[in-house]
Amino acid sequence: MSTEDTQDDEPRHPYETEDSFHPLGEEWEDRMREELEDTEYDADLGMQMARDAQRLVAGEISEEEFYAEYHDDVEEEFEADDRPLFDDVDPAEWDDIEDESVAESLAEADLQGDETSRREMMKKMGAGAAFLGYGAYATYDFQPADGAPDNVSSIRPAPKDEREHRWGMVIDLQRCDGCLSCVAGCIDENGTSTGANWMYVFTYENHDSEQENFLVRPCQHCSNAPCAKVCPVRARHTRAKDGLVLTDYETCIGCRYCQVACPYGVNYFQWGEPDVEMSRLEHLDMRPEEVRQLEGGDYDDRDSERYQALSDANDHVYDHRGRWTDSRPPQGTMGKCTMCPSRQDGHTDNPKGTVACMDACDAAGMSAIHFGDLDDPESRANRYLERRTEVERTVLEKWEGEEDEDLDIETTASPTSEISTFRLLEDLGTQPNIVYLGNKPGPNAEQSEPPTPYEVYSGSSNKWGVEVVDERKEHLDYGPSGPPEQEGEEGGE
Amino acid sequence: MATSPGEPEDILRPILNTSKKYYIAFGIAAAVALLWSAVYGWQLEEGLIVTNLADWGSGGGSPWGLYIGAFIWWVGIAHGGIILSAAVRLFGMKRYQPVARVAELLTLGALSMAGLYILVHMGRPDRLVLSVVPAYPWTVRTSPLAWDVTVITLYFVMTATYLGLTIRYDVYHLRDRLPDYLGPFYSLVTLGYSETEEEIIERMVWWLALGIIVLAPLLLHGGVIPWLFSLIPSMPGWDGGVQGPQFLTIALTSAIAGVIIISYALRWGYDWDHILTDAMFRGLTNWLGLFGLLFLWLQLQQVINGVFAEPVAGKTAMVARITQPYYIVAIGTVIVILAYVFAQAVDQRQFSLVRSLTASFLMLFATLTEKVLFVFEGLLYPHFSLYEAVPGHYFPSIVEFSSLAGTISLCTLFFLVIVKLFPVVELHAVEDHHDEHEHEAVHDEEVTS
Ligand code: SF4
Ligand code: SF4
Ligand code: SF4
Repeated sequence: MSTEDTQDDEPRHPYETEDSFHPLGEEWEDRMREELEDTEYDADLGMQMARDAQRLVAGEISEEEFYAEYHDDVEEEFEADDRPLFDDVDPAEWDDIEDESVAESLAEADLQGDETSRREMMKKMGAGAAFLGYGAYATYDFQPADGAPDNVSSIRPAPKDEREHRWGMVIDLQRCDGCLSCVAGCIDENGTSTGANWMYVFTYENHDSEQENFLVRPCQHCSNAPCAKVCPVRARHTRAKDGLVLTDYETCIGCRYCQVACPYGVNYFQWGEPDVEMSRLEHLDMRPEEVRQLEGGDYDDRDSERYQALSDANDHVYDHRGRWTDSRPPQGTMGKCTMCPSRQDGHTDNPKGTVACMDACDAAGMSAIHFGDLDDPESRANRYLERRTEVERTVLEKWEGEEDEDLDIETTASPTSEISTFRLLEDLGTQPNIVYLGNKPGPNAEQSEPPTPYEVYSGSSNKWGVEVVDERKEHLDYGPSGPPEQEGEEGGE
Repeated sequence: MATSPGEPEDILRPILNTSKKYYIAFGIAAAVALLWSAVYGWQLEEGLIVTNLADWGSGGGSPWGLYIGAFIWWVGIAHGGIILSAAVRLFGMKRYQPVARVAELLTLGALSMAGLYILVHMGRPDRLVLSVVPAYPWTVRTSPLAWDVTVITLYFVMTATYLGLTIRYDVYHLRDRLPDYLGPFYSLVTLGYSETEEEIIERMVWWLALGIIVLAPLLLHGGVIPWLFSLIPSMPGWDGGVQGPQFLTIALTSAIAGVIIISYALRWGYDWDHILTDAMFRGLTNWLGLFGLLFLWLQLQQVINGVFAEPVAGKTAMVARITQPYYIVAIGTVIVILAYVFAQAVDQRQFSLVRSLTASFLMLFATLTEKVLFVFEGLLYPHFSLYEAVPGHYFPSIVEFSSLAGTISLCTLFFLVIVKLFPVVELHAVEDHHDEHEHEAVHDEEVTS
């Protein structure tokens, strides 16, 4: 039994104890057994498989081992074992597995686990084996690669200990002077169409003062993203491993529900033909489905065939799963700030952990944008945040004239501090991953003329030669033929 | 009140005879539908840029507009139609039995138009099946849009079943008088029919009607359609539990208006004064008034709640809504209609068919306007109010407007085809008359109006 093979002195996985392997305990397990006994299949085999399935997802045994172990048994029991085809599970079969008892326990599972757990369970159940499904439930395998039906992704980041990163930004609004370098940097990186300013900078005045304030607004890459929840096809999704909220351009049906549900107005639909043709964005001479078919590795697996192909081409269109989620969207689909996934997957010439808007902001000498892994205390974002609060600590200490070790001013701004931190519309429960340093716009804040007009970056001032405007509507109103006397495709390159 | 009983001959007339009126109506409807399909083809070619929709936020537009408004409107008509017919069957409302099938057919036609609007609204309609189906088991738990598709499909199936069951009876009993060239169709419809099933079918229909009535407030216009808006956190104008009841009253109002219009057309086209009687129209007009009143009442609730001491974002949205000229026109129209309805309820002399017909057209105009406004006005006043310096603005383009003409024509075509296939007034309706009036039915009896 594979159980023996892998047992050693390592600390045991909680699921592994002999009495009850299930995280929900014995009672749950008994109920599983009862339900299994109601089916025509062998309950003992089922329970054993369930036990090992959990070890499988916990990474203690490999899939090969697992299938080698059970192949014969399963063949006998179900008269065929067509499970190990995780990669090409037929979507039609998902429906088949929703038989009564399974469906019931699924409903219960929903109450206990979260969305992703059930999704993952369904994934493991792909082959229709109820046994396997019971076992895999609640194991939180957030690995979105192997086995995940291609079009179905999660809508939440994995729990902290199971994800690699949680990308986000710390944006210091006090350093921003509204130069719009980040806006231009993003356009250069992504080839977005006129007015689709994935990065947008508000200039505003609070009611009672004439002071000019700025609010730098990329997508907030919410950890509880309403846009991903509402998408009827899961084109908009959250990469469980690193929390990036992306759109699969090949699945999106263009219903624009994500745009309507997002409270921040960061989405830009591709209403007509994109300004920058695909041939100028794509460095890889392959069809999207071919890219997906390349043998791909795990997150950060640099040896895989797909990683090699993408990094050889300095690709900026696909992510590590081979999904077309980066750069501007094609006609009829939704686009928004992506946090540059091809960079985060490490296959572009730009280093992982950077984004184009931050690079541009740094190059302009402003360094207001600090991108990084918010889970990692050593990331640029967190270090910057810490430095700013440290400065404050000394200020505060001076004021109070005392040394207090326990003074906790790291998370919330102290009343005497000059700088505060906030997240946008946090009370809507979206859990945004952009942390702002500086003043929050008040309820009566009003947008005003930006010091640098968006149009400054038009034409030859950007890589593609596209027109850059603040408000997009007027531009779109020209219809398919575009505005008169303006040829977007000239210049550039 | 002079009503004359109908005869099976009467309800067969549309199938057996084709008048000039029919050809003209068919020709116009087909021409408009074709024209619109060409316009839609252009939209497919160029993308949604041919509409006046745009991105909200820094884009300064509205991503949803007339297409979604019209979608809700059609679903509302459909939903109200099926409730009407279910109520007739469930509560044995004899007076409205002649329009029960019209209401069911309206449901099928209107649901089809709503489905069509989903396609027309989408940026990539080519992906509808391939994208929706694989993710469905997951999305159905999170996406209100997936719920909508589910419930619309469910209602379509329920209504079709319902209609199918009652048609079997009619076709079986009238078979020898129905034209032979449709023989295969009728054989299919009556496949395996035996007279012993009649009682069972009647019971099944009753249960289905019960199901529809019970599900109605929970689903469709009382549930999933308003949830499409009220559940999302971004737009204060869409908030609130009142949306369910509000949508439901609008649905019922629109459906009754639709039934009045179609019944009027049938009565005019086939001289059915004795089947679709004045009394019935007057009753429908009263219902139109009742639901219209509920509609206004719920609007009032929202307005008062929105302007009194609402947080800034909600107040802005509501003030914007009530100062919008189109909104004032829509609500004013409903008030005028109500004035008529109550006048004729008090004093019968105020009633006339043409007035009721006009009231119905106006009501449909008002509900459509309200729905479209609801959609895009909501989007123009988000919680995140910093965008107000790039205020959204939206007025539908010709392409969008043409879709209304297109879908209305398609729905008309649907009815024109149906009247040639089977009786649009069910046999029971005229049989029952027959039982009540043992004497010979005559057509020359005058109907006072
Ligand atoms: S900011 Fe909007 S688009 Fe971005 S993740 Fe949050 S809800 Fe989605
Ligand atoms: S527009 Fe695309 S990504 Fe957005 S909700 Fe619709 S299908 Fe999903
Ligand atoms: S993170 Fe990337 S996609 Fe987002 S605004 Fe910056 S450059 Fe643009």
